[in-house]
Amino acid sequence: MNSLLKTVTISIIFSILITSVLAQTQGMVTVKGGVYIPLYGVDSTAVKINSFLMDVHPVSNTDFSIFIQKYPEWKRNTVKRLFADKNYLMLWETDNTLGDQLHPNAPITNVSWFAAKKYCECLGKRLPTVDEWEYAAMADEHITDARKKETYNQYILEWYEAPKSFNNTIGSTFKNYWGIYDLHGLVWEWTMDFNSVLISGESRKDVDKDSNLFCGSAAVGASDLMNYAAFMRYAFRGSVKANYAIRNLGFRCVKDIDIVP
Amino acid sequence: MNTRLKKLNLSTLSFGVLLLMMLLGASCSKEKDKTKVYDSPEAIPVSREMIAELTSPPNVPKPTGRRKAKKLIVNMEILEKEGEMTDGVKYVYWTFGGSVPGSFIRTKIGDEVEFHLKNHPDNKLPHNIDLHAVTGPGGGATSSFISPGHEAQFSFKVLNPGLYVYHCATAPVGMHIANGMYGLILVEPEEGLPEVDREYYVMQGDFYTKGENGDRGLQPFDMKKAVDEDADYVVFNGKVGSLTGDNAITANVGETVRLYVGNGGPNLVSSFHVIGEIFDAVRVEGGDLINENVQTTLVPAGGAAIVEFKVDVPGTFILVDHSIFRAFNKGALGMLKVQGDDNKKIYSGKQEEGIYQPEGGGIQEMPAEEGVATTEETAKTFEEKMEYGKATYMQTCFACHQAEGQGIANAFPPLAKSDYLNADLNRAIDIILHGKTGEITVNGEKYNSVMTKQDLTDEEISNVLTYVYNSWGNSKKEITPSMVASRRNVH
Amino acid sequence: MKSTIILLFGVCILFCSCHEEKKQEEQSHTIKMEKENQPISELSIYNLPSVWTTQNNKEIELKELKGNVLVMVMIYTSCKAACPRLVADMRSIASQIPEAKKNNVKLILVSIDPETDTPQRLKKFSIENDMKSDQWVFLRGSKEDTREFAAVLAVNYKKISPMDFSHSNIISVFDQKGELAHQQEGLGVNNKETVSKIIELAH
Repeated sequence: MNSLLKTVTISIIFSILITSVLAQTQGMVTVKGGVYIPLYGVDSTAVKINSFLMDVHPVSNTDFSIFIQKYPEWKRNTVKRLFADKNYLMLWETDNTLGDQLHPNAPITNVSWFAAKKYCECLGKRLPTVDEWEYAAMADEHITDARKKETYNQYILEWYEAPKSFNNTIGSTFKNYWGIYDLHGLVWEWTMDFNSVLISGESRKDVDKDSNLFCGSAAVGASDLMNYAAFMRYAFRGSVKANYAIRNLGFRCVKDIDIVP
Repeated sequence: MNTRLKKLNLSTLSFGVLLLMMLLGASCSKEKDKTKVYDSPEAIPVSREMIAELTSPPNVPKPTGRRKAKKLIVNMEILEKEGEMTDGVKYVYWTFGGSVPGSFIRTKIGDEVEFHLKNHPDNKLPHNIDLHAVTGPGGGATSSFISPGHEAQFSFKVLNPGLYVYHCATAPVGMHIANGMYGLILVEPEEGLPEVDREYYVMQGDFYTKGENGDRGLQPFDMKKAVDEDADYVVFNGKVGSLTGDNAITANVGETVRLYVGNGGPNLVSSFHVIGEIFDAVRVEGGDLINENVQTTLVPAGGAAIVEFKVDVPGTFILVDHSIFRAFNKGALGMLKVQGDDNKKIYSGKQEEGIYQPEGGGIQEMPAEEGVATTEETAKTFEEKMEYGKATYMQTCFACHQAEGQGIANAFPPLAKSDYLNADLNRAIDIILHGKTGEITVNGEKYNSVMTKQDLTDEEISNVLTYVYNSWGNSKKEITPSMVASRRNVH
Repeated sequence: MKSTIILLFGVCILFCSCHEEKKQEEQSHTIKMEKENQPISELSIYNLPSVWTTQNNKEIELKELKGNVLVMVMIYTSCKAACPRLVADMRSIASQIPEAKKNNVKLILVSIDPETDTPQRLKKFSIENDMKSDQWVFLRGSKEDTREFAAVLAVNYKKISPMDFSHSNIISVFDQKGELAHQQEGLGVNNKETVSKIIELAH
């Protein structure tokens, strides 16, 4: 009996702690960790993902406007070329304002990796890893891993073909199993280690396990060749550089779940 | 290439001998006298710079003629954009230069091509280009891999004359090609291709849509169908009707037409044929080999051919993939309209018109048939009449009136529960004997079509009518051969 | 781009508008000035604030290397396939730099496996590979800074097993201002261009 009471007390304290953590991380939801086999994995085997918090929505134009007011070195006119190419915030009307062309609630795009990374760091967050992003994004509305569903893949492929979705508003696509919106169907998203993709864009060559090219190049082979949607994301990541600012590329942040002190 | 090189080497050799003699004789003129002969295409020097003329299909840039090799700047923009596959069917094409197939690039052997590949900022995907005319890894694919809103530059020297395909080679390659990312690059020999009157650019491609052929609305790409090679559309120049009606290519009688024919695939091999023409010359697979007097030439996926023919008579000549269902059911059909004076010697046109009715009637009636018919087994019982009648029905009537006599809406009236049939037995016999044209009303529906007279014996007609009247809820009459015979002479 | 032009234009107005006729001289003067003590340029890697540890266990910021021509490669010491060849390429490049220019050129190897490659391990590696002189600098940083540095060099890498990484094979040359001047990609490629670029830059 006594021990039961203890457990109850502990769990109450625990849940209070959790709520306080949640308060700091508004607009984020937990993605429960697990194991999955990515397209390009460690020795093509399963990858373990720890639980993490992810932004429910991609960062919006409004969010980013607030950020650059606070950190003016990330304005269009002050940012260093090393950190952002000249497409950076290109569609903004001025260095400070969005203008009429862009919807304030549309995802921020034309941002470089450096800017995205900085944005997350300033909020005590970080960019997701490729594995974390892919893990969260394999969920559809109902299940955590929908990659085998034809309809799910078809949905993604259709978006890849649909032009000009970057000015749609955040939250306009489906809410997935974890409660996250817009992982597919709005814009591409930066990842922390986007440059861990070792494909040259010459995809026919990439299938070849040329040991001269990379150490441990066996990892280049894809685990599921039919996963064309993922293929295209990896190809996209492989094509960009950290200072590129691209019209259909935005980002969102994640955060590690702190072990209760 | 090989034969060409040999030729070149031979002439180089003789040139060398000549030069040696000249040097021995009078060593006054040196480099200046050098004619245009080089050890290899690689050694061809380039003079000056020019921006390449790019054209969208079916147009072809101006011939290179006698111009020397140059540094040729190609500016190619990649656009992902919505277009129309056929009336009411939209498709998002990925294009080189805004058209499917992509812009035609015309070069001369020895040209140093400086290629600028620009990926439009609105595009979703990274792209690249693999030109089959490039000697180098990936045909330029690795060097040109570029994300949206960026531009890649690379250079190559064209070493082999011929007609080559280019295409995107970004993963998944098949999808990029299936969405229209292919085109042709021509490398002309030093002396240029022989002059002709008309040149056109025609490229075939197969498309895979989520809906079936003709399903309206924006149709996304269907990966599964593409893998199964089950094409919904097989077309010339990116869409149904790109070369028909007002879009048809044209020529005048007496002119020579050259078609640069490519095939982007991604899957299907084309049996390229022009109905009513014979290709005087085909540069097989776009290379040096010239075949003459060809009816149909094979254009492999990722390959090309140059076909030439002189048009001698006026009319519309149809370009098809002679895998013929593709032409008439999936769109692989184009038109060449030739204007000018008739040449009756070559083609007369229609000289006489008459009626030809193989189903029976005056022209075809052969006395022997009656003889054959009389030897046939006659039905002795009602059951036999039904059995034979059904056999005749399935042979002769089934195609239009259908297995259960239900007919086909708006085209062929029903025989099942048919008020028209049951109202008048003699009329039914007459229709089989003499045919029927014009409007009739059956079960409240109007039909207006033609039934030709049927070449059946009295016995057969009596059997088939007995079968029809005793099936599908009709009035159960039995018809004898003599009833039929009595109607034969009525008209 | 536009803003850069405007900026340059502004600078010009401020400094040389009154000395029109002496423009030529002024300009060359400014360039000289820049070499010594100018602010870090837009594209310079010296904009990166990260702190690194050398094989001698010394902490340095990248900008302490300013004024040198830098030849950089990213490797990890336990690599068996590509890295030994990359290291050999670096040594080959080093051997072609004339003695007189050596002092102005630093050859830098950055670890992509900072967890394994401790300063001690880097030191050992430098001795084993006969890279003992001051010209050779080995760097390790935090995982995040390493990822960022790779992003700047356009080097891609991924851990594919506890002991192995796949990575692109790129040797980069930076000028005295820290701006990228040349890159060579691939293994065992002809390094003639790289060497001539280094010699051209170093003076």
